Amino acid sequence: MSILTRRSLIRSSVGAIAAGTLARPYIANAQAKTIEVWWVQGFVPEEDAAFNDFAAQYEKQSGDKLNYSIIPFAPMRQKIISAITSGVVPDLIYATPPEVVPNAAWEGQLVDVTDVVETQKSKMLPMAAASAYCYNNVEKRRSYYGVPFEGSVVPFHIWGSLVEKAGFKVSDIPDTWDPFIDFFKPVAKKLQEQGMRHTYATAFVVSTIGNDPTNTFQQFMIAYGGENIVTKDGKFNGKDPQVREGVVKAVERLSSLFKEGYIPPSSINWNDADDNNAFHSKLCVMDFDGTLSTELAMLHKQHEEYLHEVVTMPPPKHNDGKQMASQFGVNYMMIPKGAKNVEGAKSMAKYMIEPEINAKYLKGGLGRWLPIYPDLVKNDSWWTDPKQDIHRPPYVEQAFNRPVLPFYFIYTPAWAQVRTEHPFNVAMHDITSGGMKSTDAVDKAFKRIEEIFTKYEIKA
Amino acid sequence: MADSASVLPSGRALLGPAGAAQRGRWRGLRGHLQGSEYAWAVAFCVPYIFVFFAFVVYPVAFGIWMGSDASLYTTLFSDPIYKETVVNTALFLGVAINLKLFLALLLSGFFMRPGWWTKALLMIFVLPWAVPALPTYISIHWMLNGEFGLLNNMLYDLFNITAPDWLTSRWTSLGSAMVTHIWKWLPFWTVILLAGRMAIPTEIRDAAKVDGATGLRCFIHVSFPLLANLYLICTLLSTIFSLGDFNSVYFVTGGGPADSTHVLATLGIRYAFDLAQPRLGVAAVISALPLLIPLVIILMRKFRTSQVQL
Repeated sequence: MSILTRRSLIRSSVGAIAAGTLARPYIANAQAKTIEVWWVQGFVPEEDAAFNDFAAQYEKQSGDKLNYSIIPFAPMRQKIISAITSGVVPDLIYATPPEVVPNAAWEGQLVDVTDVVETQKSKMLPMAAASAYCYNNVEKRRSYYGVPFEGSVVPFHIWGSLVEKAGFKVSDIPDTWDPFIDFFKPVAKKLQEQGMRHTYATAFVVSTIGNDPTNTFQQFMIAYGGENIVTKDGKFNGKDPQVREGVVKAVERLSSLFKEGYIPPSSINWNDADDNNAFHSKLCVMDFDGTLSTELAMLHKQHEEYLHEVVTMPPPKHNDGKQMASQFGVNYMMIPKGAKNVEGAKSMAKYMIEPEINAKYLKGGLGRWLPIYPDLVKNDSWWTDPKQDIHRPPYVEQAFNRPVLPFYFIYTPAWAQVRTEHPFNVAMHDITSGGMKSTDAVDKAFKRIEEIFTKYEIKA
Repeated sequence: MADSASVLPSGRALLGPAGAAQRGRWRGLRGHLQGSEYAWAVAFCVPYIFVFFAFVVYPVAFGIWMGSDASLYTTLFSDPIYKETVVNTALFLGVAINLKLFLALLLSGFFMRPGWWTKALLMIFVLPWAVPALPTYISIHWMLNGEFGLLNNMLYDLFNITAPDWLTSRWTSLGSAMVTHIWKWLPFWTVILLAGRMAIPTEIRDAAKVDGATGLRCFIHVSFPLLANLYLICTLLSTIFSLGDFNSVYFVTGGGPADSTHVLATLGIRYAFDLAQPRLGVAAVISALPLLIPLVIILMRKFRTSQVQL
């Protein structure tokens, strides 16, 4: 046995470090054709299977190797932020929540993907392409930093069987906003009288966690005329009297529904999946939740109820009878700066947005997410024929045949922070628990929003 | 051939006075280790030093670097939720920790009683501490649910009482997190104080009894002075641990309703991952240092105390 001396120890250590350093480029070269991808897990197994199929098809077609992880959406957000902060990033990421794209673009943390988007831009919904055109505050310019590839709207989900059990008919549901919401109040009362002590009219999420509270509030705000709360050049428009009135009415309406017991009290702490769970367990007669995830989660375990008891419905008209706009959300793929295989990531993204490939992927996921190519929907009865599926046609109708608005964070990342801070839901809490006047609660929310907007001054 | 020792000058003479002093320092570092023994000692230390730098020094330095921008603190102090969080953290530490340690002090006296049944009860009592934390916190969250939670449904079914929705107001929600924290950690601190009580020689108590000090008088004049230093150390340690306690708040209240029950540890995570502002999250946690550092200094000083005046 040789004797270990200080010199021999140092010599061995330096040798080991040198060997590791020299060996690394060969390892990197061996992986040059591998694309590391983080993808989001679906609500139903078919969504993940659709991505597995897509990956196999891409590998076969390109010769590249996809090293992909399918991650649940809640931890995915944390992984994305940790990766971008530390600089240890994959090549391609399914951006969730989507506002991570304008946020990271603002910080100059994303690769410009204009060349990818341009390949299909002419066929996309103009809103889908526009929503990926984000501001980079490092380079002081806008460009495409996300590759849009699927969309969604937020429909109502209604237990038709509970409506009938309460002695009403689904066809009785009014088609204007306030009467529509109020319709479910007596339904819940009747059900409670029949012994369903914990059945509520709605599953509106009034918490300060996740996407659903903001989506719900914004639909109420749109219903009461506050849709122009953010201008297209990214300015907060709270001084507009119509916007302010719309916000005050929306806050008052949701607060009243909560205080009067038409929303489950626990909704104040719900996360994004909790209203789905509440709906599935018939805690609520009606829910307002993005995509068809509510229905599709019932496809296997509650199949009869999926087919015959649940109704999907677009938002009703405004109180004055005018058609109401919905918000159309877009999901993106993004390439973080520091990705080792940018060209490979762009190649996969280009393949994903080829309309035929994209259609196959989305149909494989049972249509939870919508195409961003109107022609794909118009020319394929799979999306529109109620005989093939009872829930897809109203969802498609809402997205493609009714007015739609983009999510406001496409104009400014300030709204991404507003979405996550939920100042309007804090305002509701100030009213319901703090006894604050609704106008004062909204003023407090507006003050906070103005503070947030001052941090995001767009100069282009 | 001449003896080398007689030809060559000694090492001390070759190095001169400064060299000799340096060599003396080396010897001090080496202790009594000779030749390859020293190299082996270094070899065994290298992994620990690497781990220490990689997983202690680097993350702490990176965290301090992330939170070093002064503008972060301006943003932090302008956030109304941060102000509420500071109040919640102070309440959590001031009320929950002191109540927990006081109850632990009382219960440690109870578990000193002789008899097999107190030993059996102690075994059951330590269960909350022994079971995994997260499933129990999540269970408590669901038990407190207003609509289908176990607690409210039991109260309604057994006594026809409609109980409040525990997690929908700030104070009942924060109270629930505190009670959960106490329930989880009370057994641990009770056992620590019980060990402290058991270390008090019985002769001291017997002598006090001869002098007529029994019951409460014996506790006030004998047991408590002997336990006081341990009690204070436990309180300081528990405060330091609980300043970073994320689980009992996050999994019971989620920081809700409306972000009104956050403590600094949960708020840091909210900033970092919900708001995608990791630097602000680190700043929120760093803002606890003005409280944490004095606590650690006091704790270190308390460890020096070696005498008790009865």
